[in-house]
Amino acid sequence: MTPLDLFYIAAGAWAAAAVAGLVTGRTTGGLRACCALSALGGAAAAGGGGWSLLYGDTSVVSAGAATLTGGPLQLQATSLAGVFAALLGVVAVAIACYAPRYHAPSAGTALYLAAYNVALLGCLAVLTAGGMVTFLIAWETMSLACYLLILRHPRDLAVARGAFWFLALSEAGFLLVVAAFVILSATTGFTTLSGIAAHAASVPGGWRAAAFLLAIVGFGFKAGLVPLHVWLPEAHPVAPADGSAFLSGVVVKLGVYGIALFAFRLAPPLGTWPGLVAMGAGAVTAAIGILYAMAERDIKRFLAYSTIENTGIIVTAFGAAMIFRASGQSALWALLLIAGIYHVANHGCYKTLLFLEAGVTEHATGTRDMDRLGGLVHRLPRSAVIAFAGTLGIAALPPLNGFVSEWLIFQGLFQGFRTGSHLTGILIVLAAGTLGLTGGLAIYAFVRGFGIPYLGMPRTRQAAEATEQGQPVLGPGLLAVACVALAVGAPVMLAALSRAARTVTGVTLGPLLLPGNLTVIPAHTDFAAFSPTYLTVFLVCALAVPLLIYLAGRPRAGTERVPVWDGGIVAFRPRMQYSAMTFSAPTRVTFDALYRPSVSVSRPSDDDPAGRSGPVHYAAQVTPVFQRYLYRPLVRGLEWLADLVRPVQSGDVNLYLLYVFAVILLAYLLGAV
Amino acid sequence: MTLWFVRGLRRGVVTTRYPARPEESARYLPTPPAFRPRALTAGTADRLAASCPSGALRRADDVLVFDVGRCTACGRCAAEAPHAVTTSGAFELAATSRSVLVKTIPLRGETG
Amino acid sequence: MSTEEELRAAIARQFGRSLHIRTLDTGSCAVCEQEIRLLAAPHYDLHRLGFFFTPAPRHADLLLVTGPMIRAFEVAARKTYDAMPGPKVVVAVGACALGGVYPADPFTHGTVDAVLPVDVWIPGCPPSPLALLHGLGVAVGRLAEKVRDIPFTAEDDTERVRGAS
Repeated sequence: MTPLDLFYIAAGAWAAAAVAGLVTGRTTGGLRACCALSALGGAAAAGGGGWSLLYGDTSVVSAGAATLTGGPLQLQATSLAGVFAALLGVVAVAIACYAPRYHAPSAGTALYLAAYNVALLGCLAVLTAGGMVTFLIAWETMSLACYLLILRHPRDLAVARGAFWFLALSEAGFLLVVAAFVILSATTGFTTLSGIAAHAASVPGGWRAAAFLLAIVGFGFKAGLVPLHVWLPEAHPVAPADGSAFLSGVVVKLGVYGIALFAFRLAPPLGTWPGLVAMGAGAVTAAIGILYAMAERDIKRFLAYSTIENTGIIVTAFGAAMIFRASGQSALWALLLIAGIYHVANHGCYKTLLFLEAGVTEHATGTRDMDRLGGLVHRLPRSAVIAFAGTLGIAALPPLNGFVSEWLIFQGLFQGFRTGSHLTGILIVLAAGTLGLTGGLAIYAFVRGFGIPYLGMPRTRQAAEATEQGQPVLGPGLLAVACVALAVGAPVMLAALSRAARTVTGVTLGPLLLPGNLTVIPAHTDFAAFSPTYLTVFLVCALAVPLLIYLAGRPRAGTERVPVWDGGIVAFRPRMQYSAMTFSAPTRVTFDALYRPSVSVSRPSDDDPAGRSGPVHYAAQVTPVFQRYLYRPLVRGLEWLADLVRPVQSGDVNLYLLYVFAVILLAYLLGAV
Repeated sequence: MTLWFVRGLRRGVVTTRYPARPEESARYLPTPPAFRPRALTAGTADRLAASCPSGALRRADDVLVFDVGRCTACGRCAAEAPHAVTTSGAFELAATSRSVLVKTIPLRGETG
Repeated sequence: MSTEEELRAAIARQFGRSLHIRTLDTGSCAVCEQEIRLLAAPHYDLHRLGFFFTPAPRHADLLLVTGPMIRAFEVAARKTYDAMPGPKVVVAVGACALGGVYPADPFTHGTVDAVLPVDVWIPGCPPSPLALLHGLGVAVGRLAEKVRDIPFTAEDDTERVRGAS
């Protein structure tokens, strides 16, 4: 029995769930049944993923008879894909617990569930693809199913736009991925991934680098590297909450998986500069992602930009890993690979959690706008606690899981001096500095992201009347538990990951990473050390000290209780609080070269600048730099090209007959030759 | 900066020694009025009461009621009846009860 | 010692050497505030006497109130007073706070006494920093009250004392 068998079970469960959803999704019972099957599939996938971390790579299995492409599907469970598959499973289980309470049974829901389970199936197939064609078929299946997922409410123009951005950029990326695969399979002569990997060394370096560059751009569309990220803030707000959670938690990670696949399995050995490109792209993505997140009022757009930031962090880690590999530092290579994959798992958990909670908030209050919320910790207490756990994780604060993986990435980057080349070392340090800026801004952004909606006073009646009745709690709660488990159980996780890394890198990092007593060291003992488990225990105990002081020194009888000194304010009003945009104003002012804000003010009349005779309207917009300066010119260029070619399709039947005649003549000539 | 420091050293300590020693400049302070009872007829008292913008002066039968707490040392009463009003020179006027600040000044009787 | 003298001795012990003062403007013209501000200047220097200004009522021992206690400020004044931990002393400064200048009407109480329990009254418009120092000394029991013995009469009508107005 191999992990692949568990994956078969998962695939079967998800296929059944898709059918069940399509057929019975209009009823509550059918909805529940479909989700139960989905959860079963998720459990199987999680089990299979976890097992394949320890098992190593299975052999390539040919499944199914001749398919449309002329050959059977080729499947293989690899340890590199193990974490991704486990994440897929955990997310599927959480969403399966969440969906019955989030969706109302209807025809649209039936279609949605079918598309969602097909997307799950597609993701699993991508992760277990053993051959190039299988991979590409699975990739497209996943993309198209995700498109249907986003298009839950097709009559809404905003939804259609967002889904279209997703589809367009997915297809653009797909073309480049096909090109990358074709280059490698043509030069090595193999179409199975393990075959390509085994013979990659015989391919000239230029081809491999070209393939890697095509792959990083192609997969970068899906992963969300800047400037290929544009679909994320468009598609996430308009998709249903669990759809957005799935997109951010899993689909984006598949883009990262593709990059890792090419970087570490298919294209190596690569020189230093492809790694520098990856690292640079990742660092820039991380910084730009979080900066744009600071300017968003819509919770889901904010989370979408945060996903872009985390993708940047992971790709930076992978890029640095490639650089260390090229300079011979195999321990650091393995460390950064492990750290990057660990961050994938962590981010998958807490980002999914945050999106699910955003959905709960949206259903409870009717709005996604942070500036219309406030004080939700009183109205939605359980959701607030769960969201807080997710926020602690994503802000990378100890003792949660985000801290552990980011610490490892930083420690790996700080050891850039070991590469031996001054220039490379400086560039790695610059990347580390950019990630440091990103980390600080992330804390700032998530204080805002949690504080404005959940803390303080409600800013509108909807926020004041929100209720937790009927809102899903189990799904996000499971993910919160997973976050804590990933933090406290970091040594276990890292041990499993180093076993997995061994199959990819050939380096046994176990003894270097964990010297036995629950402490983590970043590959070299003379650098740093840290124990996530002890840190958690210590923090919990440290909280006990003020508690004991309070209990011992509690005021006895005869104390006078007076209200808190508030500056003598007569009555607090919600409008006295920070708003989301004023809280982020310092960042927006500092980085206004990036945001290029445009402000429009309309007054009742020119003689009345102070607005005494009527309201003054103020609107500030962030310029969509990438859409305006990159995509629109590209699209205009393509339209121009299309216009040039239009005369070919003149509609004239005689011209078409001439085409037919010319092609037949050409075929004869070619046949004769 | 250095110049300021040197000038300061030359000028010496300018801090007042009050309350340990009396303060020289206190004699130039504006202070509430003092009244001459022998010049205070009923008519004068009424005129003084009318002239006070702060309501510190009030005539009640045979006495002029002077509320030191309300006095702003504006000088209108002195301008109204210069023969009856002069300055008191008192600036240490703090009181622990409000009634201590309300003074009664006997008017000049008919017999004078 | 009578109760009052005991109390004064206790206050002198507690506050005589170190007193933290919180100023409160209940709607004055701010000239009293200027005189209070001058107390911290080098010429009068209240720090040499152990007096300090503090913005936080929680740290304050003495509340120095100016202004005629406009009604809009009543809640804030009460909150400030309530936020001060006992023992605390309230000192009303200036003719406005003592009931002069502004009578009671729909917008102002006219006197600080209407809202806060005042312990020491300092007349003046404004009281000079010297008068304020004397008043603070009376409040902490270091200096003796003098106004009780001043009759505000002048017997000698042949000589006029020159005074700047």
